[in-house]
Amino acid sequence: MFYRESGDFKTSYVQDQQIFPIALDRVFVGIVIAFAFLVVPFLIDDYWEKSVLLPVLIWSLAAIGLNILTGYCGQVSLGTGGFMAVGAYASYKITTAFPELNMFIVVLLSGGVTSLVGIVFGLPSLRIKGFYLAVATLASQFFLVWLFNKVPWFYNYSASGQISAPERLVFGVAISGPNAPPWATYLFCLTFVVVFALIAKNLTRGRYGRSWMAIRDMDIAAEIIGVAPLKTKLSAFSVSSFYIGIAGALFFLVYLGAVEPTEAFGIDKSFLVLFMIIIGGLGSILGSFIGAAFMFLMPVLIKNVFVGGFGWSTDIVAHLIFMIVGGLIMFFLIVEPHGLAQLWRVTKEKLRLWPFPH
Amino acid sequence: MNDAVKSDNILLEVRNISLSFGGVTALEDISFDIRRGEVRAIIGPNGAGKSSMLNVINGFYHPQQGEIWFDGKIRHHMRPHEVAKLGIARTFQNIALFKGMTTLDNLMTGRIIKMRANILWQEVWKGPAEREEVEHRQRVEEIIDFLKIQSIRKTPVGKLPYGMQKRVELGRALAAESKLLLLDEPMAGMNLEEKEDMCRFVLDVNEQFGTTIALIEHDMGVVMDISDRVVVLDYGKKLADGSPDEVRNNKAVIDAYLGVSHD
Repeated sequence: MFYRESGDFKTSYVQDQQIFPIALDRVFVGIVIAFAFLVVPFLIDDYWEKSVLLPVLIWSLAAIGLNILTGYCGQVSLGTGGFMAVGAYASYKITTAFPELNMFIVVLLSGGVTSLVGIVFGLPSLRIKGFYLAVATLASQFFLVWLFNKVPWFYNYSASGQISAPERLVFGVAISGPNAPPWATYLFCLTFVVVFALIAKNLTRGRYGRSWMAIRDMDIAAEIIGVAPLKTKLSAFSVSSFYIGIAGALFFLVYLGAVEPTEAFGIDKSFLVLFMIIIGGLGSILGSFIGAAFMFLMPVLIKNVFVGGFGWSTDIVAHLIFMIVGGLIMFFLIVEPHGLAQLWRVTKEKLRLWPFPH
Repeated sequence: MNDAVKSDNILLEVRNISLSFGGVTALEDISFDIRRGEVRAIIGPNGAGKSSMLNVINGFYHPQQGEIWFDGKIRHHMRPHEVAKLGIARTFQNIALFKGMTTLDNLMTGRIIKMRANILWQEVWKGPAEREEVEHRQRVEEIIDFLKIQSIRKTPVGKLPYGMQKRVELGRALAAESKLLLLDEPMAGMNLEEKEDMCRFVLDVNEQFGTTIALIEHDMGVVMDISDRVVVLDYGKKLADGSPDEVRNNKAVIDAYLGVSHD
């Protein structure tokens, strides 16, 4: 009754091809973005920054990246952790070599470096498909982490073998290092996430997205209509790694501050991002956000309810979290195998007709 | 018709094509041509090598011997996506649509070889990228109107009934605006009404857009009605080549289809 498209006429193809064809959606998303930029920075404190907002934003970006590769182009990858490490170490090397360089450029360059690395590790995808490709990308995960542990040049020969983010200013405000105010780090990440989510949406609804999906759905037919398989797959690897690289750079610079590669970018991170997009919805930008929020926030929420609310001991709750989150994953996958984004899509379809059944 | 005019008139010619997989010979010394603007049928019993022939034309298979001439030029070892750029489109025997995409996106994907805007413009969806999108959308809408599939424009094709999927697949091939359209059993598994519709579309494509069509089909009624010339294959060899009437009365063809008593 409230959510409808009647009366919302499209008189040109440009209008018909909008990201949000329904006026109510546009208004809603506009309000959310305005709220995130204009209101949240005034309310944010250290806890919300470090425990909720930053990780969700950064994981969303990584999930969008993997979703482009796996959800849109159908190439399963378990190398996400490794590629995030590339982004992190690239940003470290660049910002220590050129301390004056603007941090926006540093992060973008790190994405560029990761993109090139992604192309190299994407080369086997022409010959290997499905689970076998997943195993091949696993090699990149282990190789890259090993590389950053073994070659001292990457961590500037520091004694601990760790890298730590130096303090850097953007418009006179620190966004990395221990003195960065929560609102600054939050806005820095939010800017990247909003801009790159929009770019991802534009890419996936245009020529590149169609050629990726064509390769995913039916590679033989894709070839016959002129989609070059190698070029298309490598472009997906390249764009995907760019996103994951940016996420890795932000993860290190803004969120963690100090990083030890085995710990921060291990195989568990690759699985985490893969689960995010499966739960959220393969082939959906919105699903990347929902998946990241679900996988990251659900444990936080459960912990707050049981420890904060009921006063249970932390170790019992830690076990409970595993059980509850695991159960929820199974529940949602049975209810909707195509992910939470699909659940949302179905709800919208129903809402458009509500209160009528047909 | 003299030779000069005739050769100018030929869109595709295969010369002495032989194709084998290990010890199995799929095609043996096949030669035929397809003239501009005609409807050319390729028929033959199961396993005759018809689909293999299309796969050779498409560049999926590379024959051990023989030459392929397209549009007056000899074609060397080409990958399928390069063949698509030359102007050859195709539909498949088993529907090969992009099931997760809408009808509209499937058709738009058919025009992918004609899209040029670079990735930077696409990222912001402005300038050349947006203009290109609208321009190709208009062409795709014409095809949607032509095939009368307006109502399923935004339906994911995986949800469509079989006959509609076949139609969308034809639409995707049409969207490429190719010179040569290869149809691999476009009427397989259809009922009479759907077949009639499909025949109408094939003939209309041929007449209105002037597209040359080569089709494989098992329904002899359809083949004899809509094709200008027919080539018959059996066990990888060419049995006959000519007008539908000539082929229909050819002794070897009748034997191949009906079987012949060995006495």
